[in-house]
Amino acid sequence: MSKLKLKVFVGLSGGVDSSVTAALLKEQGYQVTGVYMKNWSKDLPGMPCPWKQDYQDAKRVAVQLGIPFKMYDFEKEYRQKVVEYMLAEYQAGRTPNPDIMCNQEIKFKLFFDTAIKDGADLVATGHYARVVNSYNSKSKEIQLLRAKDENKDQTYFLYRVSESALAKTLFPLGDYTKPEVRKLAKKFGLVTANKAESMGICFVGKVGIKDFLVHELGPQKKGDVVDEHSRTVGQHEGAIFYTIGQRHGLDVGGGLPYYVTGKDMKKNIVYVSTDLNDKSLWDSSVSVKDVHWISARPTNKNIEVRTRHRAKLVKGVLEFGEYSAKVEIQLKEDVRAITPGQSIVFYQGDVVLGGGIIY
Amino acid sequence: MKQAPNIYMDYAAATPLDPKILNKMLPYFSDNYYNPSATYLSAQAVAQDIAEARNKIAKGLGVKPVEIIFTAGGTEANNLAIKGVMERFPEAQVITSNIEHESVLRSAEKYSYSQVRVASDGRLSTANLEKELTDKTVLVSIILANNEIGTIQSIRKISALIEKIGQAREKSGNNMPLYLHTDASQAPLFLDLHFSRLGVDMMTLNGGKIYGPKQSGLLVVKTGIVLYPLIDGGGQERQLRSGTENVPAIIGLSEAIISAQKHHKSESLRLTKLRDWFITELSREIPDALINGSLKYRLPNNINITIPGTDNERIMMELDELGIQCAVGSACSASNDQPSHVLEAIGLTDEGAQSSLRFSLGRTTTKQDINYVIKSLKKICSKKYI
Repeated sequence: MSKLKLKVFVGLSGGVDSSVTAALLKEQGYQVTGVYMKNWSKDLPGMPCPWKQDYQDAKRVAVQLGIPFKMYDFEKEYRQKVVEYMLAEYQAGRTPNPDIMCNQEIKFKLFFDTAIKDGADLVATGHYARVVNSYNSKSKEIQLLRAKDENKDQTYFLYRVSESALAKTLFPLGDYTKPEVRKLAKKFGLVTANKAESMGICFVGKVGIKDFLVHELGPQKKGDVVDEHSRTVGQHEGAIFYTIGQRHGLDVGGGLPYYVTGKDMKKNIVYVSTDLNDKSLWDSSVSVKDVHWISARPTNKNIEVRTRHRAKLVKGVLEFGEYSAKVEIQLKEDVRAITPGQSIVFYQGDVVLGGGIIY
Repeated sequence: MKQAPNIYMDYAAATPLDPKILNKMLPYFSDNYYNPSATYLSAQAVAQDIAEARNKIAKGLGVKPVEIIFTAGGTEANNLAIKGVMERFPEAQVITSNIEHESVLRSAEKYSYSQVRVASDGRLSTANLEKELTDKTVLVSIILANNEIGTIQSIRKISALIEKIGQAREKSGNNMPLYLHTDASQAPLFLDLHFSRLGVDMMTLNGGKIYGPKQSGLLVVKTGIVLYPLIDGGGQERQLRSGTENVPAIIGLSEAIISAQKHHKSESLRLTKLRDWFITELSREIPDALINGSLKYRLPNNINITIPGTDNERIMMELDELGIQCAVGSACSASNDQPSHVLEAIGLTDEGAQSSLRFSLGRTTTKQDINYVIKSLKKICSKKYI
């Protein structure tokens, strides 16, 4: 099918990346429709939600490109699938990743399905990643690949996207670096060309996760902070606020910095150590559950992994267990602060194989 | 890249400061900066300049200088009128129309309050107002010319009614006064604002809408009316508005009012022609388009239209890209905005309100500008996805 006939629905967030995505696709001859997903609009104490400005910027980009514009209201679903999940995970003592959940449940499920239902042949977003499918290659296989800009690569957040969605997805920015994208935005004359980057979890923004959790869950029970010699060295404001490996935010005062080495949610204890080499901070293997493979399970078990966004890739060997959704990874070197609830993503070269949740 | 023209059609939102007025204001920033309350001669000279500005306005409006209270803009003057009366008569009732400016509505809502509904042309009938009046009514506030749809009220008929009721009340031994306030912020460029001819008791004016500085304004308060002050302090403006006088703003406001009233007839004639040309051309080129508000009783610079089925915010942005600036009465439903209470009051649905645009003309507007706007609107509306 010629590109001219292909309808692409682009998720326009009001930021520079998605704006350039839409502009590039239009330039390439697709029939582009811009869609603003309204996922969150609530103001938080000290942080008015900027959604309205973002919405208007997205709409303005559609005007500048001369493309149709729609808004999909996913607030209810986003609350259910992303925010509630996030809160439940924190309450269980884990450190979830809402961006991964948002891609899995909202952008590449709800948005994807709605767009296809509304007549789209393909969807596109401004993610820094590359995808191989029948629309951009002769390959029969669907592949998710790391972005050209290693600094911006967002595949860590995309490993749970379904193969069927990837089969009809375009990531035009995967072949560009961020500075190139900024230049393109200026070249296209887009209103978002100089807009500042949004940081962190979108709806938490500058408020910070701790204040957000207090806002949603109320103040937490204080408890003991216990060091590697089993001494109580201070009080914490709620165990849910602490993440393995975290250095800041411990009100224990003076001396060497403390690092969180573990938590006991039942006893409401946060364990810390001043020793960066503390054994509990370093792991040579990882247990992974809820494993998602982009296509088939790999035959070659030598992989590279990443345990957080933009972290260094570490070599490891896959061990399949009794259940297909669980795997063990034997790492070639010790990795610091492997955190239950966070994702681990598997790579072979540029190819994203899949990943799972650390437990 | 082709240079887009810059056609400003949002004069009802803000007017540029007239350069001649700016020049009159400039000495009061860094040269004659003295506090007018001080006793040395240079400060007294500034106090004298304020007095002259006040006298000029008083003469222009046909009021006494002491009847003018300078405020920081129209919103404050409206707040002072409503709250200033109602705080003194907390048990009494205030009545307004349902197409007042937010500063009147939000102030009135704090008290015992009743609304008179306008007809579908935006006009208030005195019969309907009379029905709402009770023995407890102390204040009626009616906007002289509406900011969104430009509808002009027959304020003289309204003031005659208020006077009649007031006199009857006095006879019956009811000591409660009955005051009429009008927000005339949009009016000075086009209507005669001679105070006694209007017959009102209080009137709001706003410098920022008449080529004067923003945050300049005044409330005319007829002698005999005692208001409760909103801002206490050094006792400036007859104890009603404390705070060191904003001298450049007062000078600018005075010049703006004088100039507006001097030219109101000629500017009305000129803009009425342009407005009617806009409406004629619009109906010819976009026959679906509807005009909101009375055609007859309408500010010469106001065009408020609905193009059914369109997204007004998108059209506004499309026009902006073509160098035309106009206003959306209320943005699309996506923005969670409340639909415009004025458009709602004259019977528009939410969808209708979200397809409505306001063009307001001003000193620089030409026929060519209007032709370009109509051409652009037609082009935009012909796009499939609009």
